[in-house]
Amino acid sequence: MVTALQWLGQWAMGAVHKLGRAHLFALHALSGFPQVLVRFPLLVVQVYSVGVLSILLVAISGLFVGMVLGLQGYNVLSDFGAEESLGVMVAASLVRELGPVVTALLFAGRAGSALTAEIGLMKATEQLAGMEMMAVDPVKRIVAPRFLAGIVSMPLLAAMFSIIGVLGGYFVGVGLLGVDEGAFRSQMQAKIDFHEDIVNGVIKSLVFGVIVTWIAVFEGYDAVPTSEGVSRATTRSVVYSAFAVLGWDFVLTALMFGKD
Amino acid sequence: MTSPFSDQSALVSIRNLTFTRGGRKIFDDISLDISRGKITAIMGPSGTGKTTLLKLIGGQLRPDSGVVQVDGIDVHRLSLGDLYELRKRMGMLFQSGALLTDLSVYENVAFPLREHTRLPESMIRSVVLMKLQAVGLRGARDLMPGQLSGGMARRVALARAIVLDPMIILYDEPFTGQDPISMGVLVQLIQDLNRGLGLTSVVVSHDVRETASIADYIYLISDGKIVGQGTPEEVDRSDSPWVRQFMHGLPDGPVHFHYPAVDYASDLLETAVSG
Repeated sequence: MVTALQWLGQWAMGAVHKLGRAHLFALHALSGFPQVLVRFPLLVVQVYSVGVLSILLVAISGLFVGMVLGLQGYNVLSDFGAEESLGVMVAASLVRELGPVVTALLFAGRAGSALTAEIGLMKATEQLAGMEMMAVDPVKRIVAPRFLAGIVSMPLLAAMFSIIGVLGGYFVGVGLLGVDEGAFRSQMQAKIDFHEDIVNGVIKSLVFGVIVTWIAVFEGYDAVPTSEGVSRATTRSVVYSAFAVLGWDFVLTALMFGKD
Repeated sequence: MTSPFSDQSALVSIRNLTFTRGGRKIFDDISLDISRGKITAIMGPSGTGKTTLLKLIGGQLRPDSGVVQVDGIDVHRLSLGDLYELRKRMGMLFQSGALLTDLSVYENVAFPLREHTRLPESMIRSVVLMKLQAVGLRGARDLMPGQLSGGMARRVALARAIVLDPMIILYDEPFTGQDPISMGVLVQLIQDLNRGLGLTSVVVSHDVRETASIADYIYLISDGKIVGQGTPEEVDRSDSPWVRQFMHGLPDGPVHFHYPAVDYASDLLETAVSG
């Protein structure tokens, strides 16, 4: 009993300590953002490796998620003779929830893990210490451009996911199942609100972008500098990102769409 | 405790330094001086914290107590900005080389210039090629770090360390794991750079012969204390049994061959009884 309490206390202390380090680290990285904007090529390279290289994965996933939504939505809606509303259902699910959330989960697996492993290995091979001794701040030079690239890329990827998903739903609904094309489009246009749905979805994806990239770069920078340490950090990066995204999605949804 | 070169002021002076890590005293109240323009060697068995000493001089670690002064500046009282200014005048050669793996040899050497100066590209090119020529690797400029041998990587790192023309270079185990030829090359390079560029060098190493051949002054560290010091000749002639064991690589002496253990015979008997 006592040892269990002791263990719990130790764990909680460790967690709080780590959370504090993560916040100081984020502030430090944030202070490097102006410098990144001045040296724009540094950011472009990272947007390419973090964002552009994730496009194919996100596009294919978006297409299939949209197609599945089209199929399932048709099955339910046709029971009520409401298959014309398929467009609204597909678009609303994607823009409000699936776009930001699934993209963030994919992004954590594709880009977040790569960031953690890269930074962790740079630490393990003394590259970060070497930079410090060359009077170059590794948090500003290495972490800040990657952090910013993740924040920039995530909303764009989520938007792309939603758009391609709607096209996939349209293809299944209108193309294969014979839903009326005009109804699909006009209902979607009438019911999807710019502020209520699209802006909120973009805010979600932005928040998830910050969370996932933050966890990824921090876990890499905080990794134990051995091969085992880096591999653990990479696993943690993906697991924590998934938890954080799903948890924050509930909080954000409650704030945005809860009864007012 | 002053070095025999006290007519020149010391570039690095360490006073009453104590450093503890994980409950173990790495340094226990040590004081030493590193003279300008000389090669000072810091030697000792593995795990005595020689690398830690370099990190303390470079301001990457903080001592528990004591003062580290570089060129009259107390390293551990500086703000981060001032510390970085000081580090621009210091070069450090890591054991692994610590080259940036995503940049070519040329870009690695150009890295400090691009970060700290606004020189035009033609000037950067000239400086980089001059430094690479000095370490004999001008022809390797387009290789990636993964394509270099360990000795070549260390020479590239050395070119990078001198690219901002520092006043001091800290070498962390420069000879470890090198074949005899690249060892000879590195020994020669350290000596030539020190003379040619008027540098001050600190070499941390346990390769006795190579280090003694180029050092002007040697400090021997063991168990957090300085156990011997002097010119290579003085250290070689030392009558301290520990110094003699270390300098001549004797397997037994004050440092025992056996790790501390219970009595051998009773240890064996215990197994026999319990088995």
